[in-house]
Amino acid sequence: MKLNRRHLLAGTAAVATAPYLGGRAEAQTRAETLRYVTGAAVNTLDPTMPGSTREAFGVSVNVYDRLVSFGRKQRDGNWVFDIDNIRGEIAEKVDISPDGMTFTFHIRKNAKFHDGTPVTAADVKWSYDRAVSARSLAAAQIGTGSWTKPEQFTIVDTHTVVGKIDKPDRLALPNLCTLYAIVFNSTLVKKHVTPQDPWGQAWTKDNTAGSGAYTVESFRPGEQVILRRNDAWTGGVDGKPAPFRRIICQTIPEAATRASLIEKGDADLSIDLQPSDIDTLVQRGRVKAISTPQFNAFSMIAFNTKMPPFDNKKVRQAIAAALPYDSLFKAGLFERGAKLYGGTWSGTPNDASFPQPMPYKQDVAKAKALLTEAGFPNGFDTFFAFNLGSAAFAEPIAALVKEALAAINIRVEIQKLPDAQISTMVTERKLPFFIETSIAWLPSTDYFFRTFLYGPQRWNYSGWNDQRIADIAEKARFETDKAKYDAACKEMIAIMAEETPIVMLWQPNQDAVMPKNIDGYTYGYHRQVDFRDVKRT
Amino acid sequence: MSLAAGIARRAGRRALSSVPALFGVIVFTFLLMRVLPGDPAVFFASGPNAGQAEIQMIREQMGLDKPIPQQLLLYLKDIATGNLGRSMNTGQPVVTDLINRLPASLELTFTALLFALSLALPLGILAALKPNSLIDHGVRFLCSLGVCVPTFVSGLLLIYAFYYILGIAPDPTGRLDVFAAQPPVVTGFILIDAALAGEWESWRAAASQLVLPAATMALFVLAPLARMTRAAMLAVMTSDFVRTGEALGLSRRRVVLVYALRNALLPVITIMGIVFSTMLGANVLVEKVFSWPGVASYALDALLTSDYAPVQGFVLLMAFIFVLVNLTIDVLYGLADPRVSIE
Repeated sequence: MKLNRRHLLAGTAAVATAPYLGGRAEAQTRAETLRYVTGAAVNTLDPTMPGSTREAFGVSVNVYDRLVSFGRKQRDGNWVFDIDNIRGEIAEKVDISPDGMTFTFHIRKNAKFHDGTPVTAADVKWSYDRAVSARSLAAAQIGTGSWTKPEQFTIVDTHTVVGKIDKPDRLALPNLCTLYAIVFNSTLVKKHVTPQDPWGQAWTKDNTAGSGAYTVESFRPGEQVILRRNDAWTGGVDGKPAPFRRIICQTIPEAATRASLIEKGDADLSIDLQPSDIDTLVQRGRVKAISTPQFNAFSMIAFNTKMPPFDNKKVRQAIAAALPYDSLFKAGLFERGAKLYGGTWSGTPNDASFPQPMPYKQDVAKAKALLTEAGFPNGFDTFFAFNLGSAAFAEPIAALVKEALAAINIRVEIQKLPDAQISTMVTERKLPFFIETSIAWLPSTDYFFRTFLYGPQRWNYSGWNDQRIADIAEKARFETDKAKYDAACKEMIAIMAEETPIVMLWQPNQDAVMPKNIDGYTYGYHRQVDFRDVKRT
Repeated sequence: MSLAAGIARRAGRRALSSVPALFGVIVFTFLLMRVLPGDPAVFFASGPNAGQAEIQMIREQMGLDKPIPQQLLLYLKDIATGNLGRSMNTGQPVVTDLINRLPASLELTFTALLFALSLALPLGILAALKPNSLIDHGVRFLCSLGVCVPTFVSGLLLIYAFYYILGIAPDPTGRLDVFAAQPPVVTGFILIDAALAGEWESWRAAASQLVLPAATMALFVLAPLARMTRAAMLAVMTSDFVRTGEALGLSRRRVVLVYALRNALLPVITIMGIVFSTMLGANVLVEKVFSWPGVASYALDALLTSDYAPVQGFVLLMAFIFVLVNLTIDVLYGLADPRVSIE
C-alpha cells in the first residue's frame, strides 16, 4: 500500500477512536457487573460434594434452583432470610396435608433449565433420589428433615411431585429450601454417568445442569468464577431475571487489598473484611456497611466434657464465672455482634429461642468458691487452643482468658493450631478447652441441640452427651403443638445453662461492605451472598 | 571436544544423577505429610452433620483408608503414569492445577529476576569501583532496606502508594484485570500469549499487573545479587590481568566490562540460581498480597488444610525445577568461563 495523506489521516482517526469506543463498552458492562471479592475460594460447582467450600455454596445458590426457598424479612433494619416464610422457586404452589406429612409440589409450567428444556417432575424425583442416595453431603442434611429414602418421592404427572414423611417434621420443608436439595437437569447429567458413578458426581463438579438465575461463564478453581445472567429465569419472587447481567466472584486472599478495592470502587461487595477495619472504612464515607448479627451462628468457648478436670461440672461453671465477657467482646470483636452472655434469667429462660443470651457473668468470688468445691482450691494447669486462621480475633481473647483464669489459679498455656490439626484434635477430643464459631443453617432450637449439643458428629464440640437432652430433642422435633414445643426447648436451654458444656459468647456480625449505590443485600442462612437480591441503584 | 558437546554430556550426566535425589524427595515428602498432625478427612468433613460416616467417606475418596506402604506404592504408580492425585481445596487434579499455576509463578519470578539483575549488576559494579564512597554506602543502605523489610510489608506499601493514593497502578488482583480480555492460552505466560495473538491491549494490562509484585520481589533479592557482584568485582579488580590490562593502556570501560565483569560473573550466576529457586517457592507472601495465582500460595493453602496431594506435587515440582536450574547454571558457567567445562 502506498502511504498518502488521506490514508494516514483515516488511520490516525481510527487509532484515536478505538480505545475510546473500547472504554465506553467497558463502562457499560461495568455498571451491569457485580464484582464480589472474597478471601475464600470456590472448589466445586456441585455443592453436595464432600469438602465443598462455603463459597461454592454461594455460587450454587445462584446457579441451581430448588423447589422451594426461604423468603426474607426485616430484622433491625436489615434484610435477613426467614425460615418461617417459604416461597416457591421451581414450585409455584405447595399443598401440605392437614396432618403435615404429605407435600404436593406443583412445578411452574414455564420453568426451564439453562439448555432450554422444561423442568419436569422426573427431574425433581431424580434429583431428590440423588440427594438421599448418593454419597454426598446432601443425605446427612436433608435426613434432619426426615427425608431418607427415594420411595418418599413419587411422580403424579409431568408437573406434580408428592413427598411423604412418616411423622410431622417441622424441618421437612425448610430442608428442601437448603442448597443441597437442588434440582438437576436429569437428562443432561445422565449422559455423563458411569457404572462407578451412577449419579454423575464427577461431571457435576466442573459442569452445571441447573435452572437458576445465573449460568457459569467461566470457572477457574481457586481463582474466580464468572456468572452470566439467565434471562429466561422465572424462579424469582417477581418472576423477573436477576438485576445484574454478570457476576465476577473473585478470590483475593489479602483482606487489606479487598478493603482498598471496595473503597476505590473497583469492587462492589465483600463480606469478609477485618472487623477492625470496618469502622474506619465507613467513617471515610465512601462505602457503607450492612452489619447483621449472624443469628444462626454463635461463638463459644467449648469444654471437653470427656477430659478431666473439665468432666467436672463445677470446673466448667467456675470458668464460666471467671471470664471477663465484656473485655472479650471488645478485644476480639470490637463489639461487632450480638451478646450471648449476661442473660437476666435464672433457672428456666423466658424465651424458647436459641441461641439467646445465657445467664453468665463475671463473678470471680463465685468462680473461686466453685473451684474449691470441685476439689481444685489450688487450681490446675491446662492449655487453651484456637485456630491459626482466626488468630486476628482469637489471639486477644486467648490472652484475656489466660489472664482471667490466672486470677483463680488456673494456669493456662496458649496453643495456636492450623486448620486441619485443630479439627482433628477436636474430633478426637484431645483439647481441654478452645474457642470456636459455628453455624446452623436452620435456626430452630431443637435443631441446634441435635447438631451442637448431643451426638457423635464433629459439631458436638464439647462431646457432651446428656440423655435428657437426647430424649427431649428427639421428641421436640416431631412436636406439632407450639406450647409443648416451647416448653421442651426451655427445658433443654435450662439444662444446658446448668451443665455448661460450652460457654456461649456472641453472634458475630456479618459485615457486608459495598459502595453506597448497591442495594438489596440479604443475610442468608448459608452466610453467602445471594446475588439475585442485589442491585445497583 | 567441542564446547557444546561437553556441555551436553555434562548436562546428561547431571540429569541422570538427580534421579535418586528426586525419588528420595518423593518418598520423604510422602511420609512427612503423613506424620504431620492433622487429618485432612476430618477437616474436609464440613457437612452439617459431619460424623464418622462422612469422615470415612472422604478418607476413602482420598485413598487414606489403606495402610501407608500400600498408599506409597499406589502413589508411585500414579506418578509413573503422570497422575499426582486430586486437590481437595480446588477440586481439580494436581497436575492441572500446577500446569495452570506454574506459568504465573515463573512469569513473575523471571520478571522480578530481570528487574533485580538490571538494578543489582550496575549498583554492584559501581560500588566495587568506588569502595567506601558515598555510592558504596548508598548501595549498602538500599540493599539492607530491601532485605529488612518483609515482602508483604513492601508489597502492601507499594499497593498503598501506587494503587490507593496515586491511582496509577491497576488493582492488585492477579495476572490480568478482570475486565480485560484473556488471550488464548498457548504457553500460559500471558505476556507471550498476548504477543502471539497480537492482543496488545491485554499485553499492556498484563504487564502493568506485573510491575508491582515483580518490584516487591526484586527489592527483596537485590541484596544478595548486588553484594555478590560487588565482592566478586572487588576481588577481580585487584587481580593481575586487570593490572596488566590497565598497564597496556586499555580503556577503563573495556577493562571493567569485558575483562573484569566476565570473570566476576561466576559467583553471581551461582547466587542467581539459588535466588531464582528461592523466589519461586518462597514468595508465597507476594503471591498472597497480590492475589497472584501461583504455585507457592497454592501449596501453602494445601499445607494449612493437610491436603496431601498438592503439597507432594508441589515439592516434587520444586525438586524438579531445582535440578533444571542447576543444569542451566552449569551451562551458563561453561559460557561465562570456558575453563570450567574442561574436566
